[in-house]
Amino acid sequence: MTSPREAVMDKAFEKRVERREIPTFLVLLLLLLLVLMGMVLPKGARSLVTHMMIFCILAMGYDVCFGLTNQCSLGHAVFFGGGAYGAVLSILHLKVGLVPSLFFSLGAGFILAVIMGLVCVRLSEAYFVIITAIFFAVFHLFAMDLTWLTGGDDGLSLKLPSLSIGSVNLSLYNPAANYYFVLIFLIISYLLLNRMSRSPIGKIFISIRENEKRLQFLGYDVFRYKLIAFIVSGVFSALSGGLYALTLRYGSADFFSFHWSIMPIVWCLIGGLGTLAGPWIGVFIMSVFQYYVSAWWTYYLILFGIIILVILRISCKGILGYLISRRFT
Amino acid sequence: MPEIVNTILFLLVNGLIWGLIVALIAVGLSLIFGVMGIVNMAHGDIYMAGAVLSFYVAGILGNFWLSLVLVPAIVLLVSAPMERYVLRPYEGHHSSTMIATVGISFILQQIVLGTYGGIPKKIVNPWPVSFNFLGVDYPGYRVLVAFISILILTGLWFFLYKTSYGILVRASMQDREMAAAMGIDVNKVLITTFAVGSILAALGGVLAAPINQVFYLMGNDVILLSFIVVIIGGLGSLKGTLIAALSLCSLEGVLASVLSPVQARAAIFMVMIVVLIRRPRGLFSE
Repeated sequence: MTSPREAVMDKAFEKRVERREIPTFLVLLLLLLLVLMGMVLPKGARSLVTHMMIFCILAMGYDVCFGLTNQCSLGHAVFFGGGAYGAVLSILHLKVGLVPSLFFSLGAGFILAVIMGLVCVRLSEAYFVIITAIFFAVFHLFAMDLTWLTGGDDGLSLKLPSLSIGSVNLSLYNPAANYYFVLIFLIISYLLLNRMSRSPIGKIFISIRENEKRLQFLGYDVFRYKLIAFIVSGVFSALSGGLYALTLRYGSADFFSFHWSIMPIVWCLIGGLGTLAGPWIGVFIMSVFQYYVSAWWTYYLILFGIIILVILRISCKGILGYLISRRFT
Repeated sequence: MPEIVNTILFLLVNGLIWGLIVALIAVGLSLIFGVMGIVNMAHGDIYMAGAVLSFYVAGILGNFWLSLVLVPAIVLLVSAPMERYVLRPYEGHHSSTMIATVGISFILQQIVLGTYGGIPKKIVNPWPVSFNFLGVDYPGYRVLVAFISILILTGLWFFLYKTSYGILVRASMQDREMAAAMGIDVNKVLITTFAVGSILAALGGVLAAPINQVFYLMGNDVILLSFIVVIIGGLGSLKGTLIAALSLCSLEGVLASVLSPVQARAAIFMVMIVVLIRRPRGLFSE
């Protein structure tokens, strides 16, 4: 229940702060569509969509960090890779089931995010970007070097345990099962993050983005909230990494590579910062782009660089941010 | 003299010389950040471009030393318009500059991959002389590299602190708006600074080319090291960057005698974390 006073405050907040939200029912409709699509999609497209859904979780996780609290991190590959290895290693060495292995990847993401957050979040913007990048680079070096643990570039392949719900036995080797497995996590992640971004803490996050100094003067512990956002972001990135490793059925040092740091930024910038579901558009565009152009031209990363420059030049709000601002002004 | 002391001394000198090259690159990075607020992720790739260009100059013209003149000229022609037309709108927004320069870095790397190829190549040592140094034969080229780097750094110091144009650059570094208000042509200063910074990185690449292998990803390693150096020295502080480069690289060189390269890098990284926790703005920042 919101008291009348809170309602007034909410209205004031809405007026002051640029809203970048997508109506929840639209996203739910899209998710419903995904549920139905799982039944009719041809094989190739279904695996592509499965990958996209995993990336969507990463993109949303990143959006909490960059879109909501304006912390541009280049270190999310650490969480992605950490999550992937959390799942892979726990299945290989501890012989846990599928869902528990994802808890291990969440735990890995949480620990890594706490360590990194405690060092980085306090710093100013320039230091933050550089030091997250350094963190990423050092973890990448380690992942390549510690071959006894990570398998290095060759990676570790794994045999998936089957998932038993009641008396039904599901195996992720079945692509359709894999699709719905990922989709369930996407739905849960979206509902959780959407709830969070609309709750009081989400408002604090947005206020940090809009005016950090002012929030400090109002008596909020900005460091704490930025750290919380950073950790939430890290945990969801790790979940995405874990799902990706399970879907591909292997983990390699490649999961720590720069690709996984820069892609979330591109997705968020294309789709729209701070809209949670907006980056899904970015994921869709970039995945299709990569899928087709990389087959056609080896040096497609040139185009990729140009796209980054162009998007930054046009608008930081992305496609959805642009549409929303058109609608409300 | 015992063997171990000799080895450590040898590694220390090696580290110091590598430190001088890194200092060239990191000072360029620091200068660019100080004046324009650009977090230049493409800096390592300009270093790489310098090395690759020197490979071509040595191959086509047959003289490696010409590249010390030609490469800066080429880099000047590329970097000046890059600053003016590509990076100018983002300046001052650290995150945006970082993302934009990542884009530039991708473009540079892929162009080199497409033209030069993905296989590491070696340049023949242009000065195959060796000095006897404490009973160990020491390659003369490395000594020469140290000499040239010191020369370049002195030249930079002279430019920044003894010429009237250097005063303009330093003024823009301290307060850009004030400098503009005083009638300084900031536009020209920005382009010059970016070009000077890029030329420093490219020269670092030229000097390092005969020591390291020339490879299209060779910048990634260097950009990591230079960022650590710049962070420890204090962003935008040139003196701090120089000191940090020399001390860190010699430390890494000595550590490499007992640890593997990755462990040595991790040790440097730990040093950075400790420094950051004690002094969040680096050791020498104002």
